[in-house]
Amino acid sequence: MIVAACVKLVDLRPGVDRLTGAVTPSTTLGCSAADRAAVELALQLADSWSAESVVVCCGPDRADPVLREFAAAGVDRLVRIDATGAPDSADVAGLLATTLAGLGADVVVCGDHSLDRGSGSVPAFVAGALGAAQALGLVEVGTEGPGTLRATRRLDGGRRERLVVDAPSVVSVEGSVAELRRASLAATLRAGDVPVEVVAAPGLVVPPTVTTRPWVPPTRVQPPPQGTAALERVVELTGAMVERTPPRTVELPPDRAAALIVEQLRAWGYLEAVPSEPATDG
Amino acid sequence: MTDSTYPEISFEARMATVEFRVDADRAHITVDDTVCRDCTTRGCITACPANLFVPTAAGGILFNYEQCFECGTCYLVCNEEGAISWTYPEGGHGVVFHRS
Amino acid sequence: MSDFDAIVVGAGPAGSAAALELARAGRSVCLLERGPTPGSKNMYGGVVYGRILDTLVPGWWEQMPVQRWVTRRSTMLIHDDRALTVDFRHPGWGAAPFNGATTFRPDFDAWLAGLAVDAGASLVCSTTATGLIREGGRVVGVRTDRPDGDLRAPVVIACDGVNSFLAKEAGMYPHTDAANFTVGVKETISLPREVIDERFGVRGEEGVDIEILGCTGDVPGGGFVYTNATSVAVGLVLSLPALAAGGDRPEELLRRLKAHPAIAPLVEGGEVLEYSAHVIPEAGYEMMPELVGDGILVAGDAAAMCLAAGIWLEGVNFAIGSGAAAGRAAAQCIARNDTSAAALAAYRRALESSFVLADHRKLRAAPHLVMGDLAQRGLPAVACGVMEDLFTVRNPEPKPGVRRIVRTQMRRHGVRARDAVREGLRALRAFG
Repeated sequence: MIVAACVKLVDLRPGVDRLTGAVTPSTTLGCSAADRAAVELALQLADSWSAESVVVCCGPDRADPVLREFAAAGVDRLVRIDATGAPDSADVAGLLATTLAGLGADVVVCGDHSLDRGSGSVPAFVAGALGAAQALGLVEVGTEGPGTLRATRRLDGGRRERLVVDAPSVVSVEGSVAELRRASLAATLRAGDVPVEVVAAPGLVVPPTVTTRPWVPPTRVQPPPQGTAALERVVELTGAMVERTPPRTVELPPDRAAALIVEQLRAWGYLEAVPSEPATDG
Repeated sequence: MTDSTYPEISFEARMATVEFRVDADRAHITVDDTVCRDCTTRGCITACPANLFVPTAAGGILFNYEQCFECGTCYLVCNEEGAISWTYPEGGHGVVFHRS
Repeated sequence: MSDFDAIVVGAGPAGSAAALELARAGRSVCLLERGPTPGSKNMYGGVVYGRILDTLVPGWWEQMPVQRWVTRRSTMLIHDDRALTVDFRHPGWGAAPFNGATTFRPDFDAWLAGLAVDAGASLVCSTTATGLIREGGRVVGVRTDRPDGDLRAPVVIACDGVNSFLAKEAGMYPHTDAANFTVGVKETISLPREVIDERFGVRGEEGVDIEILGCTGDVPGGGFVYTNATSVAVGLVLSLPALAAGGDRPEELLRRLKAHPAIAPLVEGGEVLEYSAHVIPEAGYEMMPELVGDGILVAGDAAAMCLAAGIWLEGVNFAIGSGAAAGRAAAQCIARNDTSAAALAAYRRALESSFVLADHRKLRAAPHLVMGDLAQRGLPAVACGVMEDLFTVRNPEPKPGVRRIVRTQMRRHGVRARDAVREGLRALRAFG
């Protein structure tokens, strides 16, 4: 019997250019608490069923050192589907399903979401592709004999659903289900040599999609109001009695509104003055 | 934008630039604030670069370990025997510098 | 029963250099690091001097991660809003064989540890050494915080940094007086490459190192500004007892430095990328622990190898120098199957005949002198005052003459000629 855990390794500290949104990958990869819980659960299940444990991930070769940490914790085999960039969930799930079927995995445990705002859809896709039973978003998992899980699922309104899931199955768990055990020193020393089986994924080099949002400036220290009485301080804070330019409301078509805003920004000095028009001939 | 009188970022924003892999299970530094009640100097409050020592109204010291630089300033300046018990966090946890 | 020939605790520059030498000598060595990667717990005041790497890693400058090569070195004296700078430029430092470089410690330390791993050392990260294993008074291994975490070896090299709990546990570090330590705080501020080039007057890979005296208010210490490729590091080094005595917090003192008219044009407008802090063993030779014990050697900041001698501010090179010496001495002792304190004392002798202890001994009085009242208050105040009087043209008044200006300024700032001469002589002696 084989218990597999699927994890997604995510860049923990990508550099993002605030102006262009260009992403510089860092060297630090990591996975979510839910993914780590999945690995721990796979280890526990493999222990109690005397099964083989495998961790499967889809990522670049930078992921290997992180995978070896799982080996140090006791995972028997490491499999990495060679992919760079950010392929979409259905593609990843397809590759994972093919690989898991090839391994002959009976029970597949996933984290219910990854660190990069994962939606938790991959486990469902994988279950679909494998034709396996699925139980997603579990908060508690136990076992009822080899291949059979007894699980509690979170529902809306604080309700819980109790499930008994037979193999073949794909489940996803929340991070609170288990905490990944700390690897022993001897296992950590050995883990450096553990091989990572690499599955080629030709053509799966997808550049990450970048969405930029308006820059949020950091909060800044403001001097406290000076007034002695509470009222004075409140007035100072709100700026109620300070003379100011009253706001102006205008209704204009978009192009003229934009022109007005630009003109005003120039007047306030936020934009450079208009460069003088070069003289045009004829 | 390049005005030198532009206010400093807040301390929270400053600390938010630092990565801390917090060990939720164990505080690596503990402060016995019954000892701190008799302390007149309280050097830890001004010296801790992460501003983790906060005096309480009751005369004690409130300490948070999560955003600790693990620098050692606090136990070095502490002049009350046994007030601060100081260890390193579990391996892999705690502060992680990237551009230092 | 030993797991390794040697255990090195801490994969900083000292530890990695020690592990590198041991591995090259064909010894099995375990390099323990408590951070998730080497260097992740380390910060410093900015410059690595690479000469020590010449023998260890020939051609190091072609592979070491470097932000900028320091080709301009300034020493600045600040008093209120005035500043006097001695500025030295040497383009030659920007070409092989180079001199100093700015680099990020997580990059540099990981590179050096990588060399040790390539040479055969076993690097184990995310593992804190929690104590020593001792048998009959001698150190035979370390305990770690991993399950089944005991590790045994005939020799342990403690490169576990300024707080060195291992050296303390071994009883080698009796004096942890706060007065011997300073704390360094630093902001790394992002600025475009062209802006840095323009503000600091450098090009390409060239960089600047500015050391500042008189910028720390009532707290003895100093400041620094370093250029990285696309960021600037600005920070302070602050005496612990004075900082603890109350008054201003480190970030407030740092804010004042950044707002100083001499510094603000260099660092303003950028975004803080990272704030960091670390304790520094300031007192050097005077606070050094025992370097050798039965089965244990101490190197790097753990042995207070940081040189904080005013005009020379170095640490990483001393860490590498001491670590490499410890590694070589340990390898020889392991080969002879004798790692007693007497045999390991070869380490101390090696350090004494090298720059590591020679410099530290020669400059033993310097840290105290630099932190003294005259250097901290008198010198910057008088220097800035003299400069102002010298160069303020007060026509139609005639020029007062240099001697009178110096005398007036010294009187104004309460610096007595006698003290100045005495401290000057001490400085001459201290800096040899």
